[in-house]
Amino acid sequence: MQGVIGAFSELDSAVHAIEDLRKQDFGDITVYTPTPRHELEHALQAPNSPVRRFTLIGGLLGVTFGYWVAIWISDYWPLVVGGKPVASWVPYTIIGFELMVLIGSLSTVFGMFAVSRMPRLTMTVGYDGRFSHGDFGVWVPAGPDRAGQAADVLRKHGAVEVRSER
Amino acid sequence: MATVVEPRRDDSMQRPNIPSAGNRLPGVRDYEQVDRDIIGTLRPTLGWFAALGTAVLCLLIGISAWTYQIHEGLGAAGYHPPVMWGVYIITFVFWVGIGHAGTLISAILYLFRAGFRTTIYRAAEAMTVFAVMTAGLFPILHLGRPWKFFWLIPYPNWRLIWPNPKSPLVWDVFAILTYLTVSATFFYVGLIPDIAVLRDQETNPVRKRIFAALSLGWRNSDREWRHFTRAYLFLAAFATPLVLSVHSVVSFDFAMALTPGWHATVFPPYFVAGAIFSGIGMVFTIIIPLRRFFGLQHFVTINDLDAAAKLCLFTSSVVGLAYLTEFQVAWMSGNRVEQEYFWNRVFGQWAWAAWIMLICNMVLPLSLFSQRLRRNTTWLFILSLFINLGMWFERFVIVVPSLSHEFEPWQWGSYAPTWVDYSILLGSFGWFFMWFLLFIKQLPVMALAEIKEIVPPKMRRPIDPEERDHDLDTLTLDPINTAGDD
Repeated sequence: MQGVIGAFSELDSAVHAIEDLRKQDFGDITVYTPTPRHELEHALQAPNSPVRRFTLIGGLLGVTFGYWVAIWISDYWPLVVGGKPVASWVPYTIIGFELMVLIGSLSTVFGMFAVSRMPRLTMTVGYDGRFSHGDFGVWVPAGPDRAGQAADVLRKHGAVEVRSER
Repeated sequence: MATVVEPRRDDSMQRPNIPSAGNRLPGVRDYEQVDRDIIGTLRPTLGWFAALGTAVLCLLIGISAWTYQIHEGLGAAGYHPPVMWGVYIITFVFWVGIGHAGTLISAILYLFRAGFRTTIYRAAEAMTVFAVMTAGLFPILHLGRPWKFFWLIPYPNWRLIWPNPKSPLVWDVFAILTYLTVSATFFYVGLIPDIAVLRDQETNPVRKRIFAALSLGWRNSDREWRHFTRAYLFLAAFATPLVLSVHSVVSFDFAMALTPGWHATVFPPYFVAGAIFSGIGMVFTIIIPLRRFFGLQHFVTINDLDAAAKLCLFTSSVVGLAYLTEFQVAWMSGNRVEQEYFWNRVFGQWAWAAWIMLICNMVLPLSLFSQRLRRNTTWLFILSLFINLGMWFERFVIVVPSLSHEFEPWQWGSYAPTWVDYSILLGSFGWFFMWFLLFIKQLPVMALAEIKEIVPPKMRRPIDPEERDHDLDTLTLDPINTAGDD
């Protein structure tokens, strides 16, 4: 991928650069930030994360499996005690609940990894170690025809370093 | 992470990212200082090696005692009728309880956006994982043939025998394994961005490669943060009822039996409150020396400890109420066996243990009504040791007096732990602290990314201090409140 990366030491500079880039129709901007900031999220107007769907599906599968396994075990070895039902849903709610939490949590993490495309074996073009430390990075995918324009916008808003990468 | 709140207006960037947190770190200037001060604690010191050596020695004593017990049988541990549960079950419940405060601080207080959790939750979460790892050993230690522990896990096996899903012991297996897995997952997911910081700053190629693998290629992009914060929120939402369920399930081990003193509906809330109370005690035991030896008083401020002390006081009150409720229910039940049992607990055979419990868990924490004592770290540390002791004795008072004083006088007996019990108890502390000490020198003891959320970022437009303080009028910034006492 070809593009321009700008490193900012100030948050407001990065936010203004993103807003200006979006006004000039630069799409698919990626921001590197040491900590999540609402200002950046707001400037990017990012959509909602789909992780919640993984959570819901995992939780439903977990609770279903929890009840099913307990009922199946009881029916496999049907001992009637005191004339009570062999499969009793009240105590099995504990197993259903625990498996809902277990499988729901694991599927949430799986979903997060899947949509974030993790694990990643190689570092992305444009990433710099300083972006986990204190600086903000703004990566703009741009071909040779628009790279200069993107670099100008980044410099105008106070980027401490701007470089083209591919 | 803080995306549970609405995006902020553009003119408010100088504010912390967690607007309702009410938490300020006046001694922390910028993001670079957060990394420098916290990563700086990772250098091993002589004192750390000495502490680790002591923990390993305690663990070896425990392992030796366990080896002896396997050879000699469970009788070596002082179990004989009528008391067939003793130190192992007591210590199992004790460690499960310790784990609860970690999840309370990391998950429940996260959902409530309590700012004081930010600097202490990583250590509390690590405490949870290691405490549950320790607790999980005790049901196995309690087996005559520990190598058959997997018989409790439901899986298709050659015996064609399945565990009984109506048994509280089977619920325990599901609850504890779920709790361990979810706590460890929550802990690891929260660590990923911080491991990426270590990866980017590491100069040793071998360690850099290890951190790169553990961080899973995390690169701090807005897309990763967006999914991460959502996933973290959902994990917190799952962990919250899990905390309440796990110790409720542990309490069912007792409450499902008809034994006097156990068969009570107050047990689940009583156990959950006790677990959180004991865990907060252990958080103080760990955090207070940690902030002093690592010089992190400007991160874990006296305000944070004060807030945690209030939580401690509240849970102590709930526990105290549960103790009194037990007595009241026995008194009003008209059940002679229950009444005899509770009389024996407080004024009879086990009075010494019951009074240790009552004084440590009910009386001494009342001192936290004093603001001066809540802000005195020495007192908080001493009190935390009493709470740990008191909560271990609470479980002793639940387990032993009931079994030794059942329905018929001919069933009554006594119980005295042997050197094997004490050695394994010591070994459990060695195991727990060995893991914790290894953790604090390998991984950041505080959440770097989350602390950066409450540190104002660098701004091109100069920040007007008056405007910022006006915006953050939820907290009075007087020097006594923020500087810390040591």
